[in-house]
Amino acid sequence: MTGDDHHDHKHCLEMFEKLSEYIDGELDHATCAKIEEHANNCVACFSCMETLKRTVALCKNVKDQPIPQEFSKKLQEIIRKVVPIS
Amino acid sequence: MTTEKNPTPQQIKDKDFDLIQAINSGEVDKFQDLVKRYEAKLYNFSLRMCRDPSDAEDMIQDTFLNVFRYLKNFRYETKFKNWLYKVAASTCFKKRRKSKFAPDKELSLEEFLPNDEAEKPDHVPQWALMPLDKLLNEELAGVINKTIITLPKKYRMVILLRDIEGFSTTESAQILNLSPSNVKVRLHRARLYLREKLKGYFENDR
Ligand SMILES: [Zn+2]
Repeated sequence: MTGDDHHDHKHCLEMFEKLSEYIDGELDHATCAKIEEHANNCVACFSCMETLKRTVALCKNVKDQPIPQEFSKKLQEIIRKVVPIS
Repeated sequence: MTTEKNPTPQQIKDKDFDLIQAINSGEVDKFQDLVKRYEAKLYNFSLRMCRDPSDAEDMIQDTFLNVFRYLKNFRYETKFKNWLYKVAASTCFKKRRKSKFAPDKELSLEEFLPNDEAEKPDHVPQWALMPLDKLLNEELAGVINKTIITLPKKYRMVILLRDIEGFSTTESAQILNLSPSNVKVRLHRARLYLREKLKGYFENDR
């Protein structure tokens, strides 16, 4: 059992719905404050928020692969066929 | 009589403006330069959209050919890059090829709701706390790419534009002809889906 139970499942759901907007800074000040307050008192929601933040950060940092030379050449040839030479 | 006129839409002079002007005023061979500028970005975007490399190659070819075909109609109302992705997205959606990896189902918020009381975590897992550069190795990047490809197309497209390509909510909405709130809804579900899979990966593999 968790000790203090001033945490209400309804707040968890409200927060859960808005997490992405929170992470993206798309919420107003009051809503952000509410979310932060809840997260400070609810480990489950705090954990959910941190893992979602991390998920987003990972996506933003995944590196691109270089385009294969061979394909780049092929693409050039295809376009040369279509684009008339001036 | 009112003096109000339709304001001429503002032209966005991004780094591609001069090149496109040149192409559209007859120097068509410069189109290759435009392709060179974006082929690597588009290659990665297409690979993540299509999974199958040969489908991805088709998608890039078709996209550039469509760009060439419609470049005369480009009015500089957005950055060229945004317009390019719009063409790429519609090229991709027109290819109605059903993917066996990602059936076009809906993702509901309910399926990602935090666990029951009993399973609630009492701490933040290590993978959310350790330094990002220590965490993100090649294997994990592979897991992320492979997981994104299993998302239904409409969710995949949104998470790619927002979190991989870095477009804003408004830009993504314009690219996909969706409302911003629709973009947000899809993005949130796509992220939650990916988060679940990453959780699974870290809990089972370590
Ligand atoms: Zn909570």
